[in-house]
Amino acid sequence: MNFQEILEKIKSKHEVLESKEDMGVLNAYIAPANIAKVAAFLKDEMQFDQLNFITAVDLPANNVLEVVYRFFSYATADTVVLRVKLDRAKASVGTISGVFRTADWHERETSEMFGVTFLNHPDPNRLILPDGIVAPLLKDYKNQDMTPLPKA
Amino acid sequence: MIKAPFEMEKISDEEYVLNMGPQHPSTHGVLRIVLKLDGEVVSGLYPDVGYIHSSVEKMCENKKFEMITPYTDRLDYLSAVNYNWAYVAAVEKLMAIQVPERAEYMRVMLAELNRIMSHLLWYSAFGMDVGALTPIFYAFREREEVIDMVEGMTGGRLTHHAFRIGGFKNDLQKDFLPRLKKFLLKFEDRISEYEALLINNVILTARTKGVGILDKAKAINYGVTGPTLRGSNCAIDLRKNAPYSVYPKFDFKVCTGKNGDTWDRLKVRMDEMRESAKILKQAMEMIPAGEFCAKVPRIIKPAPGEVYTMVESARGEFGVYMVSDGTEKPYRIKFRSPSFSNLSVLKEITIGAKIADVIAIMGSLDLVIPEIDR
Repeated sequence: MNFQEILEKIKSKHEVLESKEDMGVLNAYIAPANIAKVAAFLKDEMQFDQLNFITAVDLPANNVLEVVYRFFSYATADTVVLRVKLDRAKASVGTISGVFRTADWHERETSEMFGVTFLNHPDPNRLILPDGIVAPLLKDYKNQDMTPLPKA
Repeated sequence: MIKAPFEMEKISDEEYVLNMGPQHPSTHGVLRIVLKLDGEVVSGLYPDVGYIHSSVEKMCENKKFEMITPYTDRLDYLSAVNYNWAYVAAVEKLMAIQVPERAEYMRVMLAELNRIMSHLLWYSAFGMDVGALTPIFYAFREREEVIDMVEGMTGGRLTHHAFRIGGFKNDLQKDFLPRLKKFLLKFEDRISEYEALLINNVILTARTKGVGILDKAKAINYGVTGPTLRGSNCAIDLRKNAPYSVYPKFDFKVCTGKNGDTWDRLKVRMDEMRESAKILKQAMEMIPAGEFCAKVPRIIKPAPGEVYTMVESARGEFGVYMVSDGTEKPYRIKFRSPSFSNLSVLKEITIGAKIADVIAIMGSLDLVIPEIDR
């Protein structure tokens, strides 16, 4: 399926806020409340059986934190990317770990690295980082213990 | 250090909690597994990762594109070439660089040698985990030859770093192809020797058959990839399912297991080495003459956009997700590592097994910790 066909198929059942094509891959923006429903639709009706990863991209200029979900289909070799725009100050989105079990760890990692809350997550504990380090991958992260060397 | 959920609840008088790691030899790195045990049977398991987290992704945001390649081969020191490949392929895709055909064949050859090298080390380490000390001396005899070949090409014996954006820094060594030919003449017989030594051994078969069964649906749902997934009778290999480079030109098959138990995962890796040897034989015949590096601008400045490239590394799907904003440094890089997802399924396949089986099951997943923690 190409970019247009995938978009049409998702649009026929679920709302797509906006979409773009990047390197031939569909990037569809979804409302945060719908993410689990759309993920289940992709898995059950469109054969997207592999969730490659979940991560986030910080865009402080627009005060937006985008959570990125990338799916791949082993059967058709198609790719689709779902994106959710969140407010940087109070970023929260529902979990999809009920649909894809692999999302469990990916969400925990995204959560501690970017400060995103995944609602109803089965195990919201930290995964990699120790306590005390909050959202280090945000662009404006500063660590008190680490100051850059003065420029000569 | 994270407390396992069952550490905080009250545990019955019959049960106790045991820490395996972070310095346990069978974890091959710094990984802690908290076990809840009922006698000898595992009734709860919680992996605690992150001991060697080094925030590679944040470091990459502050480096120029050409400076990041050496970081990728340190993520998985056993399969370094494949990791370089995913990264340089991402930059090449963003900048629309066409890699010369000779370089593509050289990449395939190095990647397959690297896969053999990684599987041989896994074979030796797995043997030692389950108490067989002899296999390592046989496997390292061949591994040494492979390392020497790759060292001549890349300059490193562990974190090989030969890939550049656009191709290679130098052409194949003069004696590389004759050495490879000599090596391949005997290698397939040697794999049969390894199988006779360890994989078909009666004691090992008894310890691994029917242990740690991972079914197909569960494996895909957990994002398990690589030989671990193929052991569960699932013919998925990115070299076939999402072909990259010149892999479509080679004739090789995807090896699968039948039952998805620990033994099947071992057998798949042994069969994969045979297929790698097959690919190497074909590549040796087919490699064309010509350039080994494309014309790449002096300053690497990809157009704004984002890209995800994935390769089949020795452990499974390794991917690089890269967002470029048109400057000399990437805006965001995410490494999708296979062991991360492969470890998350450990709980599902271990509960109910004996404590000695935990080591065999974990060994069969072939984990490398730095790529989990990143």
